[in-house]
Amino acid sequence: MLVSYKWLQDYVHVPWEPEELAHRLTMAGLEVEGITPFAQDLSHVYVGVVKACHKHPAADTLKVCSVDVGEHGTFSIVCGAPNVAAGQTVAVALQGAKLPGGLEIQPTEIRGEVSQGMICSQAELGLGDDHQGIWVLPESLRPGAPLAEALDLDDVILDVSIYANRPDCMSMIGIAREVAALTGGELKMPPIDYSELETPIAEKTAVNVENSDLCPRYTAALLEGVQLGESPLWMQLRLKAAGMRPINNVVDITNYVMLETGQPLHAFDYERLAGGRLVIRTARSGEEMETLDDVRRKLSPDMLVIADGDKPQCIAGVMGGRESEVTEETKAILLETANFSPLSVRRTSRALGLSSESSARFEKGIDPSGTMFASKRALHLLQQLAQAKIYAGHLDIDASERKPAVIDLPLAEIERLLGAAVPEQTCIKILESLEFKVEEKEPGLLKVTVPSHRTDVKLAADLVEEVVRIWGLENVPSTLPADTSSSGGQSRRLDVADYVREVLVGAGLQEALSYSFGREDNNDRLLRFDQPMIKLQNPISEDLAALRHSLLPGLLTAVGLNASRQQNRVALFEIGANYLGDLPLETQPREEMQLCLVLWGQRNPMNWGLPEEAYDFYDLKGILELLLPGEQLVWAKGSNATYHPGRQGSIMYQGSEAVVFGEVHPAVLRNFKVPGRVYAAEVQLEKILDLFTVTPMFRSLPKFPAVDRDLAFVVDRDQEAGALIEHLKELGGELLQEVTLFDVYEGKPIPADKKSVAFSLRFQADRTLTDEEITPVLERCVSGLGAKFGAEIR
Amino acid sequence: MQDQVKTIREQALAACRQAETVQELNEARVKFLGKKGELTLILRKTGQLPKEERPQFGKLVNEVRDELELVWDQREEELSRAEEERRLLAESLDTTLPGRTVARGTVHPVSRIIAETKRIFMQMGYQVVEGPEVEWDYYNFEALNIPPDHPARDMQDTFFITEKLLLRSQTSPVQIHTMERQQPPIRIVAPGKVYRADSDVTHSPMFHQIEGLVVDEGITLADLKGTLQLFVQRMFGPDVKIRLRPSYFPFTEPSAEVDVSCIICSGTGCRVCKDTGWLEILGSGMVHPQVLKQVGYDPGKVSGFAFGMGIERIAMLKYGINDIRLLFENDVRFLEQFTS
Repeated sequence: MLVSYKWLQDYVHVPWEPEELAHRLTMAGLEVEGITPFAQDLSHVYVGVVKACHKHPAADTLKVCSVDVGEHGTFSIVCGAPNVAAGQTVAVALQGAKLPGGLEIQPTEIRGEVSQGMICSQAELGLGDDHQGIWVLPESLRPGAPLAEALDLDDVILDVSIYANRPDCMSMIGIAREVAALTGGELKMPPIDYSELETPIAEKTAVNVENSDLCPRYTAALLEGVQLGESPLWMQLRLKAAGMRPINNVVDITNYVMLETGQPLHAFDYERLAGGRLVIRTARSGEEMETLDDVRRKLSPDMLVIADGDKPQCIAGVMGGRESEVTEETKAILLETANFSPLSVRRTSRALGLSSESSARFEKGIDPSGTMFASKRALHLLQQLAQAKIYAGHLDIDASERKPAVIDLPLAEIERLLGAAVPEQTCIKILESLEFKVEEKEPGLLKVTVPSHRTDVKLAADLVEEVVRIWGLENVPSTLPADTSSSGGQSRRLDVADYVREVLVGAGLQEALSYSFGREDNNDRLLRFDQPMIKLQNPISEDLAALRHSLLPGLLTAVGLNASRQQNRVALFEIGANYLGDLPLETQPREEMQLCLVLWGQRNPMNWGLPEEAYDFYDLKGILELLLPGEQLVWAKGSNATYHPGRQGSIMYQGSEAVVFGEVHPAVLRNFKVPGRVYAAEVQLEKILDLFTVTPMFRSLPKFPAVDRDLAFVVDRDQEAGALIEHLKELGGELLQEVTLFDVYEGKPIPADKKSVAFSLRFQADRTLTDEEITPVLERCVSGLGAKFGAEIR
Repeated sequence: MQDQVKTIREQALAACRQAETVQELNEARVKFLGKKGELTLILRKTGQLPKEERPQFGKLVNEVRDELELVWDQREEELSRAEEERRLLAESLDTTLPGRTVARGTVHPVSRIIAETKRIFMQMGYQVVEGPEVEWDYYNFEALNIPPDHPARDMQDTFFITEKLLLRSQTSPVQIHTMERQQPPIRIVAPGKVYRADSDVTHSPMFHQIEGLVVDEGITLADLKGTLQLFVQRMFGPDVKIRLRPSYFPFTEPSAEVDVSCIICSGTGCRVCKDTGWLEILGSGMVHPQVLKQVGYDPGKVSGFAFGMGIERIAMLKYGINDIRLLFENDVRFLEQFTS
């Protein structure tokens, strides 16, 4: 809501400068989002009167004017506007003026004639887009007066943000009421008096409300003899200040009164209404109507319309129709001030994709008791400014329920909720200043009657808010809740996430964050077919359309992005939920916490002392081994379609797969446009939370020296090392503490189809071991591996 | 003989002086002082002297030996020190070469802020809880006093999955879940992802909030103010102040928007705070009686406060990030800036 600082003072005395007013309003819950001057600097622009106006001797389209600018003198000014004429009161920019467009006024000579200034159009003064000609001002203005002062252009506009629960503040009077409450001043209501014809309105027209649930109140007045024309300049300027465009005096008055009171009004050209009457009903199927914005609208049967005897003339609360619009020919007007159901207006406005100043107000719900005041205010202005003759009375179809809410407010309740005691007299004063009626029912208990415009106030807590926002939240002290001896903490799930994050950051990975939703075909792109994801009904883009089953697509996308941005090394992890549910979704999906990590490009940052090597499978496996210790995990070969068939693993926990990892299948990388090779793991953290809470148990340190023996074997090239290690452990028996595979070698002198694998075996016991004890074990290992795997000792 | 001893002494001292390495020195030591060295040999000739001169001669030789041993030891220490110095000098490295880089991991800025916030509230005795992101309309709206067609639904462009299921547009549903699950006293914070159909420099279709809820007998707006004051001081620094402004949320009454004094300009006015000196960081209020009633609490007996804040907003303010989209792009040059 744009609020003119000067206009506001029609209704309330404002003792503050605009900045202070803005601050006070903000701190009372009407946030002022901006303060802007209405007009730009117009110094050296004055009111002038064109005394004489002659054709320029050397140019057909120019005129030489003599302009009286009061105490500043009389000036000769060359003017090119076609509408300039002697006798006009005009805006004159003299030497020193700097117009909003940047033009600086200097005395000059135009084709041999002296020009000491400029007669301005509205556009040149930054007050509109009217380039038609010079701006002709009312004759009442005094020549020589600074223009800004004479027209109240030295105004300031406050952009006030109105919360959804305060439709009453979408009006100048509403804002003024708040200011009055803040200052303790008085609200001054504008005049609503006018004279009426003798003929009652009921003899001339009729209004029939068919859907009183959608239209709780319809108040109509009838006027004739209306003199259409421009509205007065002050009104035009105020409409502009509020962001509206002046049209003609009748339409301007309806808009002006809406801005003033918050009650939208609509003026119908009475003579264009079939049957000269109105029917408020829902649209019939197939009905159409052209609205004032020149769009033909298809109406549906749930939309409320104002129809004449034949067809819709206005979409209730949203926009009027072209056919019964007020034009220059209009003489008689049927003036609507109505109350429509917020829901109905909201739905209609949404369905048509059409919103207006009117719908914005109706949607939030406005006070049905306000129609009569607004109507009378408009009639007053129509009589004053358009010479309207007004038929006696109103047609007022009122089905609205307006029992004022009465709320008991114990003063103790204020203290209970605020933690501060507001003095009783202060509470009463604040509530009364906001037009609540307050009685003291008994000591400490107030009986508060809510004014009809405050549809948002229903409970004692609402009154507490009213009191505290005017009293000032800054007066509430700062305390801490009394200790309830609760202890802080978090779930194991969050603990695990924190732990995993810590380990992986320590391992040199960067934490990533991607959207929970992605492309609908992301599972297909991972070569995981026939696994449909949960789709959004209203995605903002097809890249963000379905809830993920895996974090991998997000991280692959990130790798692709970094690769395209000249990075040569990416090591990322992300912890987040996947969303798994049966489609069509009938209940909440499972949100399972997953960890995903990806390695791409160079293993080491570029450095003179580090080898230039690419990440490989074993970097990935090493990180997983670091993160996922524990003998309850079973590491196995994998067979996941997303990964390289020969370079992947899977980790089982309690019989189900908890981790898949490996080199990402090149077809997947092509789908995600990632060059090179990516090593990735998907860890279902949700399944292995228990693993991370195992308490480590201390084992005594050995008191006797260990004996280390190395054994190197030549085995088949495709022999898996894991099986060798397992078998060695079996063969080694109790004495064998540790088997470390420390070398794998292929090449000369090893035969081409073989490889050498070297193990370091550590023996340990509660005594000093002798060769006599160890040698037989070593022999058992050698012969055992030989027998089972054909391994030959080197 | 005594002259010979003197000569040996002179020669030995000269040899000692001339030795330039520990090795040369040791060779000279063997030559003069060794088992077959000159001084040893001459001592063996003591027998050739008259008996009465022998003790004195022996004494002389021993004195010379002691002297020479001392000189040799000193010289050896000198030489070995010099030699070590030479060796160390020869071992000099170019210490300006960069070290072998240890790849540095980083925590995402959003996680950092969540962790910091959790820590602050856990220290104040709050439980950290979670709630589902795919939520029933009931929990996201209706139970929070936002019935269908309520204008407040316009404030949030919600992603729907079915008619009844949606991506939560706020963390506030966790308030309802928590109150349905347990009785007061309640003291929780709930971090998590939320979703709104909006995308530009300051809006992301997915972002994070932290919800706070305290319900008990005697919880007041003053408690809310004190709690948030403490929080912002721990989060942004001891001099940061808060300001409460009346606001509107359907599920709190009274409601307040909370501003902090601008952490960029300390309140003197800058571009970030649009010269107001204040930054809006969270919404808050006293839990609406209707919400308490909805979960079966007696609003006449217990009261509570709730607050919710945007994590990305705080991260952007705290780290000076100017485009929210950077937070979700995962450019490693962005991520690597958030080292501890």
